[in-house]
Amino acid sequence: MVASVKVPNSARGSLTSSVPAEQMTEIARLFEHRRGGYSLEAPFYTDPAVFRLDVQAIFGQHWVFAASVAELPEPGDFVTVDYGPYSVIVLRNDDGGVNVMHNVCRHRGARVLTESSGTTGNLVCGYHSWTYSPEGNLIHASAPGETSFDKSCFGLKRAHGREHAGLIFVCLADEPPTDFDETAEIFEPYLAPHDLAKTKVAYQQNIIEEGNWKLVMENNRECYHCDGHPELACSLFPTWGLTDGLIPAHLEEVWERNKKAQDALIDRCRRYDLPHGVVEELDTRVAGIRIARDSLDGDGESFSSDGHRLSKKLLGDLRDFRLGRCSMHLQPNSWFHFLSDHVVTFAVFPVNEHQTLVRTTWLVADDAVAGVDYDLEKLTHTWKQTNLQDKAFVELCQAGANSPAYEPGPYMKSEYQVEAFINWYVQRVREHLA
Amino acid sequence: MITSTTISRAEPQRIRGLEMPWNRVLSSTAGPAGAARALGPWHPQEFLAECVETVPESGGMMTFIFRRVDGAPLAFRPGQYLNIAFPVNGEDQDSLNRSYSLSSSPTEPWTFNVTVKRDPTGVVSPWVHENVGPGTVLEMLGPVGAFHLPDADRRARYLLLAAGAGITPIMSMVRTIHSLPGQADVIVLYHGTAPGSFAFFKELGYIASVDSRVKVFYSLGNRREPEGWEGLNGRLTASMIDQVAPDANGRKVYACGPASYLNNAAEFLGSLGVDDTSIHMEFFSGDHQTRMEYRAEVALAEDIAEEIADSPEEYYESQPAAFGLYEPGYDSQGTLEAAGLQLESVDANPPLPEPPARESDTESGTGFLDTSTFGTVGTGSLTLSFIRTGINVRIHPDEQILEAARHAGIKIGANCQEGMCGSCKIVKLSGEVEMNHQGGIRSREIDAGKFLPCCSTARTDLVIDA
Ligand code: FES
Ligand code: FES
Ligand SMILES: [Fe+2]
Repeated sequence: MVASVKVPNSARGSLTSSVPAEQMTEIARLFEHRRGGYSLEAPFYTDPAVFRLDVQAIFGQHWVFAASVAELPEPGDFVTVDYGPYSVIVLRNDDGGVNVMHNVCRHRGARVLTESSGTTGNLVCGYHSWTYSPEGNLIHASAPGETSFDKSCFGLKRAHGREHAGLIFVCLADEPPTDFDETAEIFEPYLAPHDLAKTKVAYQQNIIEEGNWKLVMENNRECYHCDGHPELACSLFPTWGLTDGLIPAHLEEVWERNKKAQDALIDRCRRYDLPHGVVEELDTRVAGIRIARDSLDGDGESFSSDGHRLSKKLLGDLRDFRLGRCSMHLQPNSWFHFLSDHVVTFAVFPVNEHQTLVRTTWLVADDAVAGVDYDLEKLTHTWKQTNLQDKAFVELCQAGANSPAYEPGPYMKSEYQVEAFINWYVQRVREHLA
Repeated sequence: MITSTTISRAEPQRIRGLEMPWNRVLSSTAGPAGAARALGPWHPQEFLAECVETVPESGGMMTFIFRRVDGAPLAFRPGQYLNIAFPVNGEDQDSLNRSYSLSSSPTEPWTFNVTVKRDPTGVVSPWVHENVGPGTVLEMLGPVGAFHLPDADRRARYLLLAAGAGITPIMSMVRTIHSLPGQADVIVLYHGTAPGSFAFFKELGYIASVDSRVKVFYSLGNRREPEGWEGLNGRLTASMIDQVAPDANGRKVYACGPASYLNNAAEFLGSLGVDDTSIHMEFFSGDHQTRMEYRAEVALAEDIAEEIADSPEEYYESQPAAFGLYEPGYDSQGTLEAAGLQLESVDANPPLPEPPARESDTESGTGFLDTSTFGTVGTGSLTLSFIRTGINVRIHPDEQILEAARHAGIKIGANCQEGMCGSCKIVKLSGEVEMNHQGGIRSREIDAGKFLPCCSTARTDLVIDA
């Protein structure tokens, strides 16, 4: 006989239930009356109650990026990631899939795994040594004198996990949104040729930005501020996000170069059968996406000062180094650059209403040798610098939102993707509140 | 009742890219078996070879097919050359040494080919053409040279550039790839002076027609194009490279020919974005500098061959992959000398690595694994030596190791005591255990010498890092 006990997954308290009803009404009103085309009202960036709502409605309901396969290549490898108050274990199981579990011991709630990554067999809570199988089942709890203790009732809570083209996503909702399959179908053909399963982590950087997670995402959606990125501007055309007719005089020359490089890139993409066109559905679907392959300046190969490759080993079965960058943005918490020689993944993990962990991971071919095929300093230089600059921009904005004098300002034409992100966010929360 | 048997089969593993057959020998930690060892392209040797056949080639070239007099196969890498002594001035005079590329494939190692272009102004090549034939025995030294295909390459995409007699090492590469499985992608661009001057023309055409991985292009340089010529015309240029290999910048390039040709090639390849480290060249013009380089390499090879000849058994026994000669560093840096490697025999039973330093060690200088000074407790047929604690525990083969250790006062953290939680995990430095765990340890950790003493018994004496 097999006895199975269903553990109700939704038996958790509502994150916003502690917010007084009056305040909740006020917040709902803010969402209802958001002025399109303008940045958000200050409470969206500063109010802990709005943050709790964000965690519940956005991070508790959607597919969010956690890590790439390169971070947990072998059975037993895990990472732990936190989305606000949530802590989640993502573990590579023996079947090659991923198990996602809440990192909360079913005894008295201790964090089960305290490291941000590692390898484990069974999962042992450090407090009283309750031991869970990699599937989350409680398999050992010393119980002196207990007579009616039923271990099968106390497995770790599971959540949803899936892997597409080497990227691992988790969803904490009981019923995940269903359109992620379609989004995955869009991006898989773009990413598959880079074969993430054959990459390794060359470097990972974690920085805490003193800013609301939405400011981090907003900052990444426009290149209006790209003058502030001298290192990045060597390879990334600062005309990104602009179109004919929007080009300021000082960028006209760059724009011509950009167009030429893009034509050459398209030729190459056709030759190698690589998808390159823009797909932009940032606010028209639940799993919002933007993806395209864009040319780079200089040699057009990588994020270096002359656009030349930063790692000498091509990824996957790519045949050519001059493939620009395939860039993807996924709502709500990630963006990526897939190049011929390396990949950079960016994951945004909100901490609280005014702090955000930004994790940047550089992946190279798994047979590339540090110091021989790539120089770690050079590989990471451009984005390390760019991240620091962006961190400063985000923090300036957070400081502004804290000021009583702050008032929403208009997004410029070149910032249409910022508007799309905010529009997506407001819609998602409104639907959640309805 | 129906019974059925299922034969379980592992996932078929296709060879991705290129893998040379001796690759497994090189990476085997167990030490290669006899026959495989003979075929591993280890080191240059001195040997006698007998010519068994000559084949005239177009372009004034002649292929000489040899076999070793001692009956052994010849191991080499596609692209390497041999140094051959020719008794040009008679048997009793000093012979003249010349280096010639091997044109055959090492996957057919029982005979090997050397292809020689007749240079009417030279001293040696006309003599070779006239005097070497079936029955001629010559002294040889080899294989030599760092210009060769890698032993394994996940992205086996090559652009092979040859001019004139430069085709010989390239031919060895093409024949080798053609004879092996894998997903290589080879483009050959071959420059010659006249339609009839392309050696191996028919064979290259045949290979290209049956092996979809190989494409061959011919160009006549600046000569006037005769009627009916279907190949390219013109000297090597960046746009010609781009035309035959638009993805050149993602390929490894092997180029062989006269110095001027190669210098141009280097410049064009650079302008197409090909990295210096992806370009390999063999100068075939025999200019002074090239000859000096060859001479230095051959001299070094001679030393090595001599040492091997002195004590072949010991030498081959000491050839684990760990020797490091064939790691990427070697090839990229060229000769053995350049790699700074001294040839010395490696002890087949190296001493165990130093244990982590213990305070008592530094003072008393206690040697590692000298457990004879340890106190011994317990009874039993087997001994557990705990090197950090400095105690020997006698144990019976059916006793749990954790329990015995604890009785002897050794502190090992443990929770479940059933092999689930992994908290008792420790490292064993030698010996065998029998372990019945339940997920508390991963096979990777077991491979690294770890075990769970709570659910293990000893099969042999053990040395434990605890
Ligand atoms: S809280 Fe985890 S075992 Fe007690
Ligand atoms: S005590 Fe739990 S595995 Fe040994
Ligand atoms: Fe930025």
